Amino acid sequence: MPVEDRPMTGLEGPLALFLLLNLLAALVRAARGPTAADRMLAALLFGTTGVGVLLLLAHAGDGVSMPLVDTALVLALLAAIAGVAFARRGWHKTEEGHDDPA
Amino acid sequence: MGAVLLRGTAFALVWWVLAEGRADSWGVGVVSVAAALAASLYLAPPGAGRLSPTGLLGFAGFFLAQSFKGGVQVAVRAFRPAMDLAPALVDVPVALPDGLPRVLLVNTLNLLPGTVSVRLAGDRLRLHVLDARLPIAEEVRQAEARIACLWRTGP
Amino acid sequence: MTTLPDWISAGLLLAGAGFYLAGTLGLLRFPDVYARLHALTKADNLGLGLLVLGLALQAENLAAALKILLVWPLVLAASAAVSFAIARRAHELGIEPAGQEGKRP
Repeated sequence: MPVEDRPMTGLEGPLALFLLLNLLAALVRAARGPTAADRMLAALLFGTTGVGVLLLLAHAGDGVSMPLVDTALVLALLAAIAGVAFARRGWHKTEEGHDDPA
Repeated sequence: MGAVLLRGTAFALVWWVLAEGRADSWGVGVVSVAAALAASLYLAPPGAGRLSPTGLLGFAGFFLAQSFKGGVQVAVRAFRPAMDLAPALVDVPVALPDGLPRVLLVNTLNLLPGTVSVRLAGDRLRLHVLDARLPIAEEVRQAEARIACLWRTGP
Repeated sequence: MTTLPDWISAGLLLAGAGFYLAGTLGLLRFPDVYARLHALTKADNLGLGLLVLGLALQAENLAAALKILLVWPLVLAASAAVSFAIARRAHELGIEPAGQEGKRP
């Protein structure tokens, strides 16, 4: 793919770093709990913030790195599939009316 | 026959997007589209519950507007120095038929302003709301109506 | 030379980052896991939506723009499903929402 020589906004690199700092702060929060459910929040963070960082990095520098966009797309797809599998499994579990404590 | 044509076109469009519009990848593309079409016809045979295009557009518009509202609502509360929350668990009745429409409602409400689904038991959905002073029941009814419009006939 | 789409793109990217910051603030400040779910599922998702829109404006052709936009619904589906799983798990574990102790309906 030809790299077009047009000016980008130049914001992508700094914003990627900013999102990374957000991810770090949020991960520390999630890891500290206090409950098991709080720690599961990390799964959500990689879906939104992680994919955001990847997309910004793809656009940082000159031109667009489409392989990084592909990576973001695959990460999003896997997150969606994992989410659905996660929910379906729980769905059946609640119907049975019992669940093992964490 | 109509369903095969429609789905085939949709999958071809997805391939065109994934290949970023390049023409040199259509060799793999044709095989992939055919495989996707075969899998979709096997897993979801056409017939029962056809999607309505206008319903789909209406839902998409409603969803985009509500997503924006939800994001702004949470952002305002997160930035405000003195936090003003009135969290509560609320039970609402669900009128949508069992199966896909309900699953869609539970998941849509997670993304709509002020609500997170906690539990679905029978015809009652338990929600966690960030601010119980907001008109929650009204918003749930709106989401239900939009989802009901997605199908031409009951799925 | 900066063109109008570049300005709009920059505005969308900055707004997106602002919503990510709101999500992080909410995660740090909100009182319990349910409220923190609100912060992540609403603010972060809108942040990603604006980000994706801003980046799509810079794409070289329509297909590349649509490809970037395709990321958003996938992440939305993931967020919604994972959020429900977490909330239900928390409820089953007996975690009460803040300000609602002993008032479970």
